[in-house]
Amino acid sequence: MNEQRPPRALRMSYLVASIAGVGFFAMSVLLLGVWPGQVLEEQTRVMSPEHPLGLSASERRGREIYSREGCAYCHTQQVRYLHSDMERFGAPTLAWETRFDYPHLWGTRRIGPDLARESGSHPADWHFVHFYAPRSVVADSVMPAYSAMFDGSPDRPKQDARDLVAYLETLGRDRELAGSEGEAHARANCNCDKDEMSQMAFHAPELNANPHKTRRTGSPPALVTGSESRGKDLYARNCASCHGPQGRADGPGAAGLHPPPTNLAEHYYRYDRLSIVLTNGIAGTAMPAWRDFSIADRSALATFVRTLYVPQPEPTLPQNLLDLGARVYKENCAQCHGSTGAGDGTAVSELRIAPSNFRTGRPTLGETLRVLRNGIDGTQMAPWGADTNGRLSEAELSAVAYYVRSLLVVQSSD
Amino acid sequence: MSSQSKSAGSSVNQQLVYAHGLAAVVMLFVSITFGIIASTELLWPDLGGGSPWLSWGRLRYDHTQGILFGWLGNAFLAFLYHAVPVLTGRSVTSARLGQWLFGLWNFVIVVPGWMLVLAGFSQPLEWAEFPLVIDAFVVLALLLMAVQFLPPFFARGIEDLYVSSWYIIGGLIFTLFAYPMGNFVPELVPGARGAAFSGLWIHDAVGLFVTPLALAIIYFVIPAASRRPIYSHFLSMLGFWLLFFLYPLNGTHHYVFSVIPMSAQIGAITASALLGVDVILVVANLLLSLRGSGWFPRDLPLRFVSTATVFYLLVSIQGSVQAQMSVNQAVHFSDWVIGHSHLAMLGFATFAAAGGIGHAWQRIPWARYNHRAMDWSYWLLFAGLAAMFINLTIAGVVEARLWQSNAPWLDSVRAVRPFWIGRTHSSLLIVAGFIAFFMGLTTGPKGAGLAAVEETVGLDAIDEISPRLSASHEVHGAAS
Ligand code: HEC
Ligand code: HEC
Ligand code: HEC
Repeated sequence: MNEQRPPRALRMSYLVASIAGVGFFAMSVLLLGVWPGQVLEEQTRVMSPEHPLGLSASERRGREIYSREGCAYCHTQQVRYLHSDMERFGAPTLAWETRFDYPHLWGTRRIGPDLARESGSHPADWHFVHFYAPRSVVADSVMPAYSAMFDGSPDRPKQDARDLVAYLETLGRDRELAGSEGEAHARANCNCDKDEMSQMAFHAPELNANPHKTRRTGSPPALVTGSESRGKDLYARNCASCHGPQGRADGPGAAGLHPPPTNLAEHYYRYDRLSIVLTNGIAGTAMPAWRDFSIADRSALATFVRTLYVPQPEPTLPQNLLDLGARVYKENCAQCHGSTGAGDGTAVSELRIAPSNFRTGRPTLGETLRVLRNGIDGTQMAPWGADTNGRLSEAELSAVAYYVRSLLVVQSSD
Repeated sequence: MSSQSKSAGSSVNQQLVYAHGLAAVVMLFVSITFGIIASTELLWPDLGGGSPWLSWGRLRYDHTQGILFGWLGNAFLAFLYHAVPVLTGRSVTSARLGQWLFGLWNFVIVVPGWMLVLAGFSQPLEWAEFPLVIDAFVVLALLLMAVQFLPPFFARGIEDLYVSSWYIIGGLIFTLFAYPMGNFVPELVPGARGAAFSGLWIHDAVGLFVTPLALAIIYFVIPAASRRPIYSHFLSMLGFWLLFFLYPLNGTHHYVFSVIPMSAQIGAITASALLGVDVILVVANLLLSLRGSGWFPRDLPLRFVSTATVFYLLVSIQGSVQAQMSVNQAVHFSDWVIGHSHLAMLGFATFAAAGGIGHAWQRIPWARYNHRAMDWSYWLLFAGLAAMFINLTIAGVVEARLWQSNAPWLDSVRAVRPFWIGRTHSSLLIVAGFIAFFMGLTTGPKGAGLAAVEETVGLDAIDEISPRLSASHEVHGAAS
């Protein structure tokens, strides 16, 4: 094409265009930076609870560690206004929730799950073991190990690891604390009744939808006999890291957990018990919930877990021993484990970890005696043996062990 | 200036072209090493043995900052030292300043930036991971670049400028504006508000720094190496202005379905679609200019830039499509986007940069040049990029589908492993391609670049030509 030098009018237009170019850049900053910023600031002002917690010194340090390690390049901190996000992670992120984020950590890539609602999802011992060696608790994880934040074992976190876990506990905390009152306040001031998308922020099924978050109560689905081979496969990928390949509580993740994983070879469980455990996890412990598994998969797991139990010969008991056991139980154990052994004693509300239910599951005699002698690390189940604090004699110990094992109620369906 | 080579018949400072060209390739090797280790860590996460210096996040920061500053930054500088004198007929402001800038860019910004990130000093902001101290020097360097390269253009009056000059001027000035917005503002403005600015910079880093300079190279090399004028100067300029209007308006498309006001999101999504249309315009003009050169020209720098043009079209259309809400809600956050950014940075930008360095290099009379190695480099990079892009795109689709189902999160991590393996292997081809590129610049006979030009395009292309003038048919004679 034969173009001669541009005519004068066109040349002038360059000047105009240059000025316009700078203008457009300024406009982009105004339209997409400054103006949205003002809207968000206003939203924050009217929708925030009056006294959000902000970050303590330790939590702030944890945030810096999160920043420097690039956690935000595998984890977002922003639940989008989309049903798929809401079902997985919970309520969409509101502007005020990010008010202390200097700089923001929204992220643009998810290799791991979103963490905007991480607070309360896992206990500290899980986090420590997970940071120390992620694959020792989640076998197929690709998360980097942060073992340098520990003194050689997950039980000995350095300040960095403590700060980081403290920070994770702040993610979503303010919204959680604001509670239903806070939600109502935000919704009333949102001034967005007509705006379908903004309304989504208030209509998530759960504030924190993390499927691994444990809960104390919740209605578990009925589990039935499932595919044992499927269960075996699921167990190997998801459970063996903690419970060990044969369920003997010797997986690589077991060492740093308090309480340690249950020895599944030494426990008989009813299906309804396993349904509760797999659906709700065990609150206060590293045992996660598995609500992201379908009912069929949870049934398969339950079926397989029951095959791990190695039954032992059951001696018949003299009645006088059982009577002694009942007496000891009533005096020492019932306030926690409940008068019928359902784990619903009067003291339960004060316990961080709920006492075991003896009606829906049963440890072997050996395991029961071991627990009575040693207690369970990380729970309020104390040792009772004569050699520890002399609370129960050897005879009382075995009597109560026999007694609690007799509380199991076998279901006809099992 | 004393250090300039006379033999090219120009005021090009060949030493600085050479120094930045070599630095670019060396930095490139370091940058891709970060990337390769990071990608391998996704396959063997315990590869780094828990050492903080080898931790995935820090390597990930250094990978992209290295590509942006170390590789592309040096490559653009090498090209500018060649192109600015050719375009303007004047030498750059100062050779001494050039030496300082070289030192500043490489030994005050890139190398310390990398070390600081590895030592745990950084910002968690995309395309802005180097810590604030480094950012201050980047702003200084951008200022010095303006001082070094802009005066020659203005000495002549702007109405006479060829489109490459516009891209150079626009790129340098707007980067200077945009950089602080992405690097400083989010430290001062919290959360969602800061993210709005961050989103702008994520796009501006690519749109106002990488794209203009890469396009400057493409617009320069095509007429200079093919000896045919640009198809339409008018389309060139139209494309230029539309790009500068539309690019900055794209930023918020990185945060679709967030709490950022919907009207800003929709504005950015609309701008993204328009941008695709504009790129079609730009690329049509470029491809029309390439008529007669074939898809794979014999002159390798020309081949690199013409392929860069095609990648530019593909990546831009992909960008327009994935900004749309229905697509974005599925593929956002997935490996699809990582595929997109490799198509942009390794496809479009790197092919343009390689072409720019190669073109300038051929015209250094005393530099070595190896045509065969360059040929290998082209094909290896092409194959490596294709393999990587395909693997990541499929991985992204797999992730998107699983995330929209109710499968456990970890299923998405497990499912993409085969594609991650494929991606890591594709880096073997890419490394081989860059080794060949390095050999192309450092082996072969001295002065072979000029000989190759003579053989592929003909002797008259060796002479200094101004693409601007070739566009307006006033081709310089051999006596210039
Ligand atoms: C290479 C990517 C990657 C990096 C970097 C990374 N993670 Fe992860 N993270 C994952 C993956 C994948 C998972 C899911 C599997 C698992 O639980 O380990 C995960 C899971 C988590 C979880 C459990 C989420 C839940 O509720 O189930 C937390 C908490 C977490 N990461 C925190 C961090 C922190 C803090 C950092 C930075 C110090 C970090 N991650 C860095 C990939 C990563
Ligand atoms: C992070 C480690 C961890 C993983 C992974 C894990 N568990 Fe557990 N599990 C525990 C711990 C710790 C306990 C013991 C909690 C306590 O003392 O109450 C436990 C307890 C249990 C119990 C006993 C519940 C009860 O009521 O006494 C069962 C059954 C169980 N887990 C099954 C599973 C299954 C099935 C999986 C895989 C889907 C699994 N666990 C995965 C840590 C884990
Ligand atoms: C302060 C409350 C409390 C008292 C009192 C108490 N327990 Fe426990 N017990 C617990 C808790 C908490 C657990 C741990 C549950 C867990 O790990 O999930 C537990 C666990 C057990 C277990 C392990 C069950 C299993 O499935 O492995 C046995 C056995 C047990 N208790 C027996 C007793 C007996 C017998 C007594 C009375 C001598 C007693 N407990 C008194 C709170 C109590």
